[in-house]
Amino acid sequence: MEQKSSPIALGTEDIGKLLLQYAIPAIIAMTASSIYHITDSIFIGHGVGALAISGLALTFPLMNLAAAFGSLVGAGGAALMSMRLGQKDYLSSNKILGNVFLLNIIIGISFTIVVLVFLDPILYFFGASEATLPYAHEYMVVILLGNVITHLYMGLNALLRSTGNPQKSMYATLFSVLINIVLNPLFIFGFKWGIQGSAFATIIAQTIMLIWQIKIFSNKNQFIHFKKEFFRLQRKIVADILSIGLSPFLMNAASCIIVVVINQGLIRYGGDLSVGAYGIVNRVIFFFAMIVMGFNQGMQPIAGYNYGAGQYGRVSEVLKKTIIMATAVVVVGFIIGQLFPYAVASAFTDDKELIDRSVEGLRIVLLFFPVIGFQMVTSNFFQSIGMAGKAIFLSLTRQLIFLLPALLILPLFFGVKGIWYSMPVADFASTIIAAFMLASQFRSLKAQK
Amino acid sequence: MNENFVINIGRQLGSGGHEVGLLLAAALNIDFYDKELIEMASEKSGLAKGLFEKMDEKTGRSMIHGIFSMHSGVNNEVYAGNYLCNETLFKIQSDVIRELAEKKSCLFVGRCADYILRDNERVVNVFIAADPADRVKRVMQKQGLTAEKAEELIEKTDKKRSGYYNFYSNKVWGAAESYHLCINTSALGIEGTVNLVRHFVEEKLKLKV
Repeated sequence: MEQKSSPIALGTEDIGKLLLQYAIPAIIAMTASSIYHITDSIFIGHGVGALAISGLALTFPLMNLAAAFGSLVGAGGAALMSMRLGQKDYLSSNKILGNVFLLNIIIGISFTIVVLVFLDPILYFFGASEATLPYAHEYMVVILLGNVITHLYMGLNALLRSTGNPQKSMYATLFSVLINIVLNPLFIFGFKWGIQGSAFATIIAQTIMLIWQIKIFSNKNQFIHFKKEFFRLQRKIVADILSIGLSPFLMNAASCIIVVVINQGLIRYGGDLSVGAYGIVNRVIFFFAMIVMGFNQGMQPIAGYNYGAGQYGRVSEVLKKTIIMATAVVVVGFIIGQLFPYAVASAFTDDKELIDRSVEGLRIVLLFFPVIGFQMVTSNFFQSIGMAGKAIFLSLTRQLIFLLPALLILPLFFGVKGIWYSMPVADFASTIIAAFMLASQFRSLKAQK
Repeated sequence: MNENFVINIGRQLGSGGHEVGLLLAAALNIDFYDKELIEMASEKSGLAKGLFEKMDEKTGRSMIHGIFSMHSGVNNEVYAGNYLCNETLFKIQSDVIRELAEKKSCLFVGRCADYILRDNERVVNVFIAADPADRVKRVMQKQGLTAEKAEELIEKTDKKRSGYYNFYSNKVWGAAESYHLCINTSALGIEGTVNLVRHFVEEKLKLKV
């Protein structure tokens, strides 16, 4: 496995160039999944209706939870395999491949069974009403039945990256999005399958890519491929995979809980269409957030290495440049959201009421969007220099610590607008905290020198 | 054919493993590496020595840092795109070990060298242990501690080393099947142990005496 770039390059090459080199592949990968979500919502909104979008929006946290269980295995397995491959331990790596495959199947099917049995109560808890339940239910049934495929597809994608094939995993992601974009209108408009059509499109797209991935890993000429005798769960490997994957799982689960709280508040104070409006607003924000996360991933190795090498000048340089890029991205999002909210909302639906509520939501939620770039980059910065605790704290300030109380208190005074206002409030507060922590970090860095 | 060979010494704290390694390396006229590996890894990568010292032979896995690593893997040499995490530092140190072993015969103390060089044909993996009483005595002497503190340190270090070894290698620290030879220095003393291990090495590798 050749080294793409030696660590020394991180300490000497031009920061701007390095940042683009590392960030662009990450940005592509992350926006691809965001685009998939946006197009699904667009087709369902126009092809099935406003209530369908609300039904779909309800299922987001549930799908996130499913993905979280999937990444428990995928992230853990990929990290473990990465380490073994670094030691050229192909034997262990093949065992990991077998274990990941089996674990994905076991956890995937278990999740499907448990959630299917309790599906309706879960959906009501997530904010469904009599009107939206049928849509959410229909959609989730198909998604749940295909859940094991989703897990396998994502697990193998992560392993493709670990085995030094980041391009292949990028193709898998891009093609699954493309196939989904083609199948969605076909099933919804052509075959008139309603919201289930979108779910089928998703699962079929993933199945096709899964078959391709399995073919890749069946090639005996590759270092890492399926071997019959390694399709056995081994306690040590399973324990290692799960313990590494536990952290991303917890973060995913936490963010899913907060969306449930938001939806519960929206259905209580605003009704079904408010839930749908948040679904639309969420998809838009998600897109810009993914781009920022891509830049974060680009910053990480550069900041980390130079911090470890004591070259603090380069550390502040990459931090500054990343903040600038991220802020540019969210400012664009802010402008689009504040100047063209009707255009954005109309892309998803023709229902006038839904459009109005989405516009209201968009304008409020994006109030402090321009500073979010800074907040997200700062949080990731702490992680890059090895201060994971501070990074988690900052991430939680934006997603939970200020948001939760705001969501519970503000609606008492402002009704449904209170729910919308909670988000910019949390954005603002978490940014202030991030600024303080960053300033104090730099003060202590200067003292160290 | 490469005449080089490698001796890897796993050892309990206070067993005299470091000493045995030193004497053995001198007797066989090969290079000796213990903490020197840290310095070399730091030089090779440009990363601060302190980073390597912090993760040296301590339990490798840290759950917290895995949090944002979901979409990692742009460069699979670096675990989670993070140069500061233990796995990456381990990789850098293991590269140093591999390069040294290729160039000449050496003796390595600890740091999973036996796992790192497992594909090497001419290796001898030795584990050095000692009676608990002797271990406490030795640690008290070397580190200037009371008996109680020495015992504490021994327990903690055993845990850290086994955690480190078990995580990175696929074997079990201190178990007989992980090594070619396990020996208790309390039986023959340091000199006696060195002699016996030396004969074992010469036998196993068919060295010209």
